[in-house]
This record gives sequence, structure tokens and C-alpha cells, in this order.
Amino acid sequence: MDGIKLVNVGKYYTVKREQVKVLEDINLDLPANKITVILGRSGCGKTTLLRLVAGLETFEQGEIQATHVKRKAYVFQEDRLMPWLTVRKNITFGLKDKEIDHEKISGIIQMVGLEQFEAAYPVQLSGGMKQRASIARAFAYNPDFIMMDEPFSALDYFTREQMQKELLKIHHKTKCSILFVTHSIDEALILGDKIVILEKGIIKSEYEIEKDHERDLLSDKFVALKKQIMDDLKVV
Amino acid sequence: MKESKSIKTFISVALIVLIWGIVAEMGVVSSYILPSPNKVIESFVKMVKSGEIFEDIYISYIRVLKGFLISTLAAFALAMMRVVFCKASGYYEGIVQFLKNVPPLSLISLLILWFGIGETTKIGIIVLTAFFPIYLNTVKGFTSCDKKLLEVGEIYGYSKVGSFFKIRLPYAMSDILVGMRIGLGYSWRAIISAEMIAASAGLGHMILFAQQMSRTDKVIVGILVIGVVGYITDRLFALVIDKTLKGSEKNGWD
Ligand SMILES: Nc1ncnc2c1ncn2[C@@H]1O[C@H](COP(=O)(O)OP(=O)(O)OP(=O)(O)O)[C@@H](O)[C@H]1O
Ligand SMILES: [Mg+2]
Repeated sequence: MDGIKLVNVGKYYTVKREQVKVLEDINLDLPANKITVILGRSGCGKTTLLRLVAGLETFEQGEIQATHVKRKAYVFQEDRLMPWLTVRKNITFGLKDKEIDHEKISGIIQMVGLEQFEAAYPVQLSGGMKQRASIARAFAYNPDFIMMDEPFSALDYFTREQMQKELLKIHHKTKCSILFVTHSIDEALILGDKIVILEKGIIKSEYEIEKDHERDLLSDKFVALKKQIMDDLKVV
Repeated sequence: MKESKSIKTFISVALIVLIWGIVAEMGVVSSYILPSPNKVIESFVKMVKSGEIFEDIYISYIRVLKGFLISTLAAFALAMMRVVFCKASGYYEGIVQFLKNVPPLSLISLLILWFGIGETTKIGIIVLTAFFPIYLNTVKGFTSCDKKLLEVGEIYGYSKVGSFFKIRLPYAMSDILVGMRIGLGYSWRAIISAEMIAASAGLGHMILFAQQMSRTDKVIVGILVIGVVGYITDRLFALVIDKTLKGSEKNGWD
């Protein structure tokens, strides 16, 4: 199975009758069964890129080939939970009633640490809890392709680390493809099979990291890579 | 919190009744203009015992419910039309905006001419009164739906129909219920006026009749009963809204 391909993609927004270029000449392969991480500063077009791939946005130029993707899930930058549904109902929102495997859903709820809040409504949750509920909603959908837009941004260091581990576990088990947006270089190094640096709507550089089970970010190899990425991200 | 509020209400009501009683007792105004509280309570008890007050309440209430039901259905249907066929609304939107600015009571002469002074006229008045708040709020609820939530439905493969029932409708629910609550309040006020113009029974007619018989005490009983029944209805409806909108922050107005 091949992945998703972006060929020469360009996207413009019209603000006050002026065309603003948001993405330009994006040529990108999102390999199947791999984690691709988009790394970049705030406002560089990461969310826009994700929305294009998700099909939520039209674009003026180029082509996106993603015909074989059957079930895609999207963790939005905001939680986007339905305020009138309980946490559990929100998590099963993507599933039809007969598709719901209650044991599995309970497992996912436990994984994101919300078992005490199953019956709570989103207004009763903290920001990080809402974010975890929205991550759980994506996992519950059994996707073969997950897009995640800074999904762990509202979490503390330890919860974040644990969620990263869970994400890798799910990835290894289901072999789903993941497109992950972050602005944390460490997070990109922990998760990414492929790291794409986006700057002002242009792909600045790409790095591939071969699979090894335990990644030691303090090893020489990763320290060097981190340094190089930092150089890439520095504005000229 | 709640207890202190009802205590406060009780104190202010007691104060008003006290002042009323003192003024009536002093005899500065004739008892025809301002009957004493005792007199009012007396005639209230009499009307309860004979059951005539309940009959009037019942008649007025049934009219309100009928008209309210019809206008809710009509408002919902037209609002749906407007959401589903965006272009169709062009045909009736202008008329709706025009009728919105015409007080229903001003149409009563026409209604009497066309339908006589039977039930149709009175229910017609209620429909004309309750329709607009319900329609406008329902439309607002549907059209103001958060695009971000609709996108969630799009991602998870919801059809147009599916996303209507799972996202748009629940989202609009609080606005629809608020509109219904306002509409119900308006109907209750409108029926009294309508009954004062064209009716042979009901609370409005009762008040007018009492006035013609120079029974100011009965007029005051009528006014108090209207207020209390309207208040209880509104509270009950607020309770229903609370139960329906569990997760939502905005549960109508107070
Ligand atoms: N609907 C829109 N209309 C006009 N301009 C937009 C719109 N959405 C985004 N933009 C512009 O596109 C650019 C990229 O926005 P985008 O949301 O993709 O950034 P981002 O990389 O996700 O940033 P962040 O890390 O802060 O989330 C910004 O300059 C923004 O102003
Ligand atoms: Mg973003």
C-alpha cells in the first residue's frame, strides 16, 4: 500500500481582496504505516496543510492523491467536543451504534485517564482533559490514517510523555499512518519516522529516521539532528 | 441561595399587601376603585368554591395550548424549509418580516370578520403571537451552528441527514426551547387580550364582565390569577429546558 502524495500543492487565502500565499509548491510523501511529523513555527501553515489533506479545504494548485484512505480521523487543534454529549458519547461519536465495542471503548477511556469522567459533560472538564477526550474519539474510530494537530499541547510533561507512548503503542498495533503536527522538536524526534520542517508555507527540509525501538534523545546522533533542525527553524 | 430568594420575594409581597390594606382601610379611595385585600380574598374563595375560576382558567389554557402547538409546528416546519432549501426562504422571508411588525391584536377585526367570534379567531391570535419568537429563534439556532462541529461530522463520515440530527438539531435545541418559552409567555398574554375583545368565556372575558358589573374585586382576582398561572407555566417550561439541555451552559434566559 502506498501513502499519500502531495504534488505541487499551493493554497491562497484572500484577505481584504489581496491574495495571501499560505502554502506554496508543497511536494510531500506521507508514507503508509509511518508517522510523519510536521514541525514549524506558529502561523507557518501547519493546520492549513492538515486541513487540505483532510479534504476540509479547497486549494488552488496541485493535487493530493489519497484515494486508498478509507477511515481517516482528525484530532483538531481545538477539542471540538459536542457540548451536549457525555465524554463517553463524544468518544463514540464517529462510530455507528452497532460498531461500538464497549470493552474496547472502556480500554481507550482508561488509556487517556478519563474513566472517572465517562459520564461528565465537556464543560465539566479541564482543557487537557478535553484534549484527551478528543484524542480518544480519534482512536475509537479505528482509523487507518490519523491526522493530529498539536494534540498534546495542553498536557503537562508527564501526561504528554505517557500519551506519546500510548500513541506509539497504538501505531505499532494497528499500523495506521499518522500525520502529526507539533512545534516541539523533542516530540518530533520521539515520534517521527519522517520529520518535515515547514517555514512560511514552504518545505524547508525533510529528515528520515530509521526505526529503532528505544530512542535516546541524548545520544550523539539525536543531539546532532536536533541541532540541525534548530538551525533550520531559525529565521534568517 | 434559593431559600433566601423566596424569603425576599415573600417579604416584598407581604409589604405590598400591607400597604394596600392600610390604604384601603384609611378610606381615602372608595372601595369601588380599590377594594380591600380581604374583599379580594373573599371573592377569590367564592370563585374557587363555585369552580367558575377553574373553568375560566381551563378554557383560556386550552386555547393557549392549541395555538401554541400549531405555531410551534408551523415555525419549525418553515425554519427547516429555510435551512434545507436555502433559496425557498426568499419567497416567504419578506412576508414573515412584515407580519412580525404587525401586532396580532390589530388583525382581530379581520379575524372576527372572517371566522366569527368562535375559537378559530382566538387560536388564530395565539398562533400569530407565538409563531415569530419560535420561528426566529429556531432559524437562529440552525443557522448559527458552529462550523467547527460540522467539520467533525464531515471527518467522521456523517451524511447531510446524519449531521442534521446529530449536530445541527442538538446544537439548535437551546435556541428552539428558548423561542418556545418566549412564545408560550406571549401566547398567555395575547389570549387574555383576545378574550376581552371577542369571547364569552375565559379569564379575559371574566375580567371584562366583572368590570362591567362594577366588581373591581373580581377584576383584581383575575389579574392575580393570570400572573400566577403564567408564572407557574414559565417555571415548568424552564424546568423542562434544564432537563433537556444537560451539558449545555446556556439554558435559556431568566
Ligand atoms: N480562514 C483563513 N483566512 C485567511 N487566512 C487564514 C485562514 N486560516 C489561516 N490563515 C492564515 O494562514 C496562515 C497559516 O495558518 P495556520 O493555521 O495553518 O498556521 P499554523 O502553522 O497551524 O499555526 P499554529 O502553530 O499557531 O497553529 C496564517 O498566516 C493565517 O493567518
Ligand atoms: Mg495550527
